[in-house]
Amino acid sequence: MSEKILNCSLILSDVIELEGNLTKNKINLKGEQGNFDGSIKLTDSTERLIVNLINKSDFKINLSLNIDVGPNCFLEIRDESNYDNGSDFKIESKLNKDSIFELFRLNKFNPESVNSFNHKIDLSGNCEFRDFNFSNGSQEMNSKTIISLKEQNASYIGSGAVISNSTNAKNELVINHLSKSAKSDCSFKTVSRGKSNITFSGMVFVDKDCSDTESNQISKGLVMDEEARINLIPMLDINNDDVVCAHGAASGKPDENILFYLKSRGISKEDAEKIYIEGFLGEFVDKISNEEMQKKAFNYITSIS
Amino acid sequence: MLEIKKLNVSVEDKHILKDLNLNIGKGEIHAIMGPNGSGKSTIAHTLAGNPNYEVQSGQIEFHKKDLLELDPSERSLLGLFLAFQYPIELPGVTNATYLKQIVNVHRKKEGLNPIDAGEFLKLLREKSKRLDIPMDMHSRFVNTGFSGGEKKKNEVLQMDLLNPSLVIMDETDSGLDVDALKSTSEAVNQLRSSDRSFIIITHYLRLLEYIEPDFVHVFQDGAIVESGDKSVASRIDQEGYAG
Repeated sequence: MSEKILNCSLILSDVIELEGNLTKNKINLKGEQGNFDGSIKLTDSTERLIVNLINKSDFKINLSLNIDVGPNCFLEIRDESNYDNGSDFKIESKLNKDSIFELFRLNKFNPESVNSFNHKIDLSGNCEFRDFNFSNGSQEMNSKTIISLKEQNASYIGSGAVISNSTNAKNELVINHLSKSAKSDCSFKTVSRGKSNITFSGMVFVDKDCSDTESNQISKGLVMDEEARINLIPMLDINNDDVVCAHGAASGKPDENILFYLKSRGISKEDAEKIYIEGFLGEFVDKISNEEMQKKAFNYITSIS
Repeated sequence: MLEIKKLNVSVEDKHILKDLNLNIGKGEIHAIMGPNGSGKSTIAHTLAGNPNYEVQSGQIEFHKKDLLELDPSERSLLGLFLAFQYPIELPGVTNATYLKQIVNVHRKKEGLNPIDAGEFLKLLREKSKRLDIPMDMHSRFVNTGFSGGEKKKNEVLQMDLLNPSLVIMDETDSGLDVDALKSTSEAVNQLRSSDRSFIIITHYLRLLEYIEPDFVHVFQDGAIVESGDKSVASRIDQEGYAG
């Protein structure tokens, strides 16, 4: 896989604009007034393609996207946009042998808006999907990702975090282990404030022929206020004995001993809670191997804590 | 500097401190010894404002202010520092980030601008060296995965960075090996000044051999039953509390 990097920007405005010179790799997207659809198809394994998705539209964004990452290709999509008028994303992705897809979403949503995100992705042999999603929540937010590890040595690593003051968020993750020697590692964290109600359900399915499977799923929640709610629902459906699957879920209020420790150093109650939240969410930012995006994720957390 | 009058404190409805009186003058070092459960840590946490320790009655005056009216952060900003017996772990926040943050909170109180990155690094390097703390410890999460000795040194480092006028050391010597005890004590001795007072809570004479106290108080059942000079500690070391 080449280290040559090509950066391009996909700007969602009145129409869709592409900035950057693509050669063999293709981005075909069209539409207007917030309604866009099309595809990204990578066939050139000599360059790593970084697509920066930038929202400048005054409309709610309805995006339907097909992604095909060819053998040995590398695709990175970065979405650091604000969605003031809501969004509805529908993505279907296919990773062909030995390819990598990194998806970073560090979004800020209008608290009054309605947003949904649906992603269905199939992975072939030796492929890797890295999915990192941080958001501040919105009035209604539904997110569903279905990952199918279809061939040997396919792997998924992902982290998600929602921190919100007033949201009704449902996050659903389904990981299908459909071939042997596949790996998945998922961490989800949420901070629920005010009257937020946040649900995470994570299902790991391991098919009967999938020996040598490794799967790890952690979900943690921090309940900051009396009326805030968190539901964490980890599920395992394992049909093979030769697997290592771990899962854990925990939610609760902040540890008063930690808050007291911080306050005893002169830090105000508000700042102590902010530091606590930053630490809570920052714990898994380490999973992001891309240093630039790791830094951005830390900054994002600081800005919304 | 600190005046405690007829202090009664409960923890989970259990009456621990009973009519405790204690005066700490400027620049004085007071050692508190006593058997387990005698109220040593209770006085430390009560002074720092831990909400789990409920003051039933009594008064605490610190720098002429009613300490009991202040929340823990205000007490810290007024110059009180508690070195915890069991320092808290804070995953996800690097030690350097945390230390810089607490330094800046205190600088803000003094009307100073936040310390810049280069200046802070220089300060941290200088203070860490004094305690034999390797700089890579600061890129780890606060106290997370630290050894017992590293945690205690990190407490003394914070004390050094915040420049408090009253330091309460709650069994800082526990968990320290001989070398760490020596370097930590040396660092504390360097921080001794005519403006800074210490309350040193300990079970053992060995710490007081390095940091010589002006007064030693013996706690029993939530009250001071004996006060004297360092010879009190020597006697307890030989004879025990029952002797």
